[in-house]
Amino acid sequence: MPTEYALSNVWIGIGIVAILFVIFYAVGYMASRKTTSDEDFYAAGFSIGPVTNGLGMAATWASLATFLGVIALILKLQVPFVYLWIQWAISIPLLTLLYGTSLRRMKAFTPATFIRQRYGKPSTVVIVCWMILIMIMYALGQMIGLGRAFELLFGVPYNTAIIVAGIATVGFITIGGMYGATYNAAFQMVVMTIAMVVPMGAIMKIMGSSGWWFPPLAYGDMVPEMLKQIPTFFDMKYDFRWYFALIPAFTLGPIALPHLAMKVFTSSSVKSARWAVVWFALFLGLLFSGTYVVGFAGNFFTATTGRIIEKADQTLLILNVFYNPTLVAAFVMGGAVAAGLSTIGGNLMAIAGLVGSDLLGIIAPNMETSKKMKWGYAALLMGGAAAILMAFRPPKFLVTSILWAFGLLATTATPAILLGVWWKEANKLALIVTSISCGFLFILISPHVIPSICVGKGLVAALGMSGGMVTISLSFAMFIVLSILFNRMSMFKAFAPTLEDKKVIDRIHGWGTDYDESRYNGITWPLIIAAFCIAIFFWGLQPWS
Amino acid sequence: MKEKLYKKEITLTIVFSILLLLMGHSASIFVLFPVLQQGTLWGFPTQYIIPILLGWFGVAAVCLAMTIMCNKFDDEMEDYVNSLPPSSETKKTDK
Repeated sequence: MPTEYALSNVWIGIGIVAILFVIFYAVGYMASRKTTSDEDFYAAGFSIGPVTNGLGMAATWASLATFLGVIALILKLQVPFVYLWIQWAISIPLLTLLYGTSLRRMKAFTPATFIRQRYGKPSTVVIVCWMILIMIMYALGQMIGLGRAFELLFGVPYNTAIIVAGIATVGFITIGGMYGATYNAAFQMVVMTIAMVVPMGAIMKIMGSSGWWFPPLAYGDMVPEMLKQIPTFFDMKYDFRWYFALIPAFTLGPIALPHLAMKVFTSSSVKSARWAVVWFALFLGLLFSGTYVVGFAGNFFTATTGRIIEKADQTLLILNVFYNPTLVAAFVMGGAVAAGLSTIGGNLMAIAGLVGSDLLGIIAPNMETSKKMKWGYAALLMGGAAAILMAFRPPKFLVTSILWAFGLLATTATPAILLGVWWKEANKLALIVTSISCGFLFILISPHVIPSICVGKGLVAALGMSGGMVTISLSFAMFIVLSILFNRMSMFKAFAPTLEDKKVIDRIHGWGTDYDESRYNGITWPLIIAAFCIAIFFWGLQPWS
Repeated sequence: MKEKLYKKEITLTIVFSILLLLMGHSASIFVLFPVLQQGTLWGFPTQYIIPILLGWFGVAAVCLAMTIMCNKFDDEMEDYVNSLPPSSETKKTDK
């Protein structure tokens, strides 16, 4: 028998969401009083402590998908999708280790701030365009999800839901800037975690688990019954290449996400940024483990009750309506709304930073700080308005899974950032050629454009895993080889890194003015990496089963 | 001194990158070595619960070690930069 989510008393849902929005606006208003400069607006004055930042990082990373999409995919694909989700936890730690602290040291607002100093203006325009495209895809996906959540919660038409949810959301984010986005995200993470984990305890108790006291890890006694009902639930299903393909697309992609990097940059110091990452890992692990138990319980519910969850992305909500009181079910929906809002907040702040600071820094480099801040507010508002407007009739190419867009980011931006930070030979023209050509190649070989020339098939192709394995490795190899070639060709002399470009690298690694040409230089290791990438490129081209 | 610091920075970055990748992608090890897909822990099959535990507490532990060691490295780097003669116009690094 099919089950759907429906609150018995819709006013309880409205009350919970209204209270949450009052809190978000109050935080946004208080934050606006602290915002007096562009540093405050884009980086919260470089003042956020480790615990708040850890919570904020986790909330920004855990999107609406944590409450809706991933649970649906666990319901369909079972355990392999749990493995896919687990590796997201290393994204911000890797980002911080590989370039976050270096860029925090130079007080960057976004990764593109570094690209501008290291590679110059034309390269910045290329990277900013890719990043804005991906941020719009990201924000649009969250906005559509938010509209659907409001539609589901209040029973209003989708278009009305988009207008109400969109304006209410963009309003408090615009008022608060990065201070507001960060403090609100920290609060939202607390709401999300409680909404995900605590009600599951009650559900597990009714389902007969003795581990109800700690839902994320104590449901082992349900496993024998699960195996009786679904013997293949814990099967790993795919071959080693499927699991390896997670690294290029889903590990290397998110480390270039500007809204995640910006969270690292808001830290009060480089050391504080690292401590924030420890808290991030703990908080995110708790939330994600809650997601896995919901995926497990959803499968358990359908197998043991014979009920069908037709809309798999509503699994968490359906379980709560079925087993818990209306107030709890409404609070869980509030948690899902908080998850969407925290990510939209990060996305819009990234768009504001990329447009208001990085692009404007190219067009009008000598603009006054107060004007820059006003442009930042304007960019944030325009980004939000664009996301709302597009959510009415979303362009098909923009609503492709955001997981696919991670592969695009890993292809176009990750090599530029990582090689730029760690290798003095990284060449400006090589960046432009590689980013544009490999970026379009990734789009071309996906199933979303010309299905007949797609690399891979089915889920691996749709999520960009097979395509990413080809283009991300190609992008790294091409960037390295072209940089070495271009730096040695007199006709491309203008694109070779200057002494000032190279000094940036030593400086952001903490060497101050102690410059050494041999540091972060040389071609042996980059060529070994390029050879390794070429091997992966050919491996990715082999037929996918 | 500066060569030692440089090597240490590279070593820390490589070692912690590998450790983070291992924590986040431990499921691959169970695919690569199917013999490990035996036994249970807390009632769960090992190939399910161990990647979850490593993706949570394992990542947190690596982050903790990374934070302690990299912050200590920053102190050493700052000591080195501050020990340089003033003529090199060395600035104090932002910790």
